[in-house]
Amino acid sequence: MYFFEDPQFGNRMITLMAAFVLVLQIAMVGQRWLVTNIRVFAAQSFLLAGIANTIAFFNHAPHLYVAAFLTCVLKGIVLPVLLERLVKRIDIGQEIAPIVNVPLSLLISGGLTTVGYVVAESFHHPEGAASPASLGRNTLAVAVSLFLIGFFMMISRRKAIMQVLALLSLENGLFLAAISLTYGMPLIVELGIFFDLLVAVMVLGILVYRIQETFDSMDVTKLSKLRG
Amino acid sequence: MNVIFPALAQLLLFLIISPLVTGVIRTMKARFQTRRGPRVWQPYLDLHKLLRKGMIIPDTASWLFSVTPYVVFLTAAMVSLMIPMVATEAPLSLFGGVLAVVYLLALGRFFLALGGLDTGSSFGGLGSSREMTISAIAEPAMMVAIFTVAIAANSTNLSEVAKSAVGQSWRFLAPSQMLAFGALFIVLIAETGRIPVDNPATHLELTMIHEAMILEYSGPYLALIEWGASLKQLVLITLLVNTFFPFGLSSDWHSPGIAIGLGFYLIKVLIICCLIVLVETTNAKMRLFRVPELLAVAFILGALALISTFLF
Repeated sequence: MYFFEDPQFGNRMITLMAAFVLVLQIAMVGQRWLVTNIRVFAAQSFLLAGIANTIAFFNHAPHLYVAAFLTCVLKGIVLPVLLERLVKRIDIGQEIAPIVNVPLSLLISGGLTTVGYVVAESFHHPEGAASPASLGRNTLAVAVSLFLIGFFMMISRRKAIMQVLALLSLENGLFLAAISLTYGMPLIVELGIFFDLLVAVMVLGILVYRIQETFDSMDVTKLSKLRG
Repeated sequence: MNVIFPALAQLLLFLIISPLVTGVIRTMKARFQTRRGPRVWQPYLDLHKLLRKGMIIPDTASWLFSVTPYVVFLTAAMVSLMIPMVATEAPLSLFGGVLAVVYLLALGRFFLALGGLDTGSSFGGLGSSREMTISAIAEPAMMVAIFTVAIAANSTNLSEVAKSAVGQSWRFLAPSQMLAFGALFIVLIAETGRIPVDNPATHLELTMIHEAMILEYSGPYLALIEWGASLKQLVLITLLVNTFFPFGLSSDWHSPGIAIGLGFYLIKVLIICCLIVLVETTNAKMRLFRVPELLAVAFILGALALISTFLF
């Protein structure tokens, strides 16, 4: 038996990659440059695909390979390229004023992670070591933290494009929760979600561009002003 | 004999290797930037020259000015006895183990800041204030990361930490270890005054931190401070490599494993040096007011590591 067939090793790798996904999510909170943020999101998606592949390999769930491949192509390549082109067209490189300043948002995301762990702990059944939840425990905590931080990012950023990114990373959290708890939803559901996401980002991209055109700014707080 | 020999050997090794590490980092950095750079043993020559030179002590200086170099050097030398280097057993262990290490280093830093303030020159005060600002934020990050390792080993004694880490394979793949390593690496960069935080190669008044504090020192005093700084750097690197990657540590000082242990140790230190050089050449120096953000990242990494030791 090769060392990479050792389930212990697989478990370590999954936990490790999940931890890196979380670190990348927090990096996204701390990063001001839009393009770097998009690349961080792409890296996060690649890691997510890695987790899906590892789970598929160790639990013999071949349909997860398809989900991993789709994650890789769609969230790792297509969506980031679309968003980067959008950033280039709008010509705004940096988030000038997040509502909450960077060190404080980092601390808040740390706190949200703790909440995520506390929530995930209640799903843990120590007696059922063979049940899927035992694998899900570490990764579920990361997934819950991912979408809590994603929500926080959506609330605390002014720029519309950052909110799109926050939505995408939130979806990454959902995907992680799904694969870690149930070894993936049925393939048809996954396909539906991916297609939804693609369309959503395209529509949001057009919307962001329109906001920029109309208001000369991506600041969503300006949307509250009425204009005749 | 049983106690004296390891202590002497480790102290000597630390004293001899530490300027070399500084030199290696400098040379590698120069090569990365396609300059020729100084020779690797240049720090030895510098120290030798400084030790022979006369001193100029400012008229305004009090006794603190002359005490500072000794305190800086001695705390660094003492700390170097308290961490496992080539054997898992450190020659000296004080109350609290790793806590004593952190706060002895803090004592050295405190005196360095006092020495900077003592002469009343504006640069010294500026450097001291900056150093204290940064260390006040770096210290919690360091403590949190170290607590993570200590909890995993059930002891704050560094020898125990190294011992518990030796046997376990894949242990360094645990997320808590990785995150704590990341946090400690950022702290290492901040504490040794490396590029995103401070630039060790410049005397530009707007940006310097460490150099500003020691601006008034000359001759043997300067040599002591420089040597103490490289000792501290090597201590932090050793702490990093031996708590997280304790490969090849021998169990005690008498077995023939010492030579292998030393070889492994040097390779590990060299790898960390490469990492530092990589960070230094690929990053620009941060604005001073951005540094807290970097250290907040370190703190969050450490906090995440602590959370995940309890839950993973």
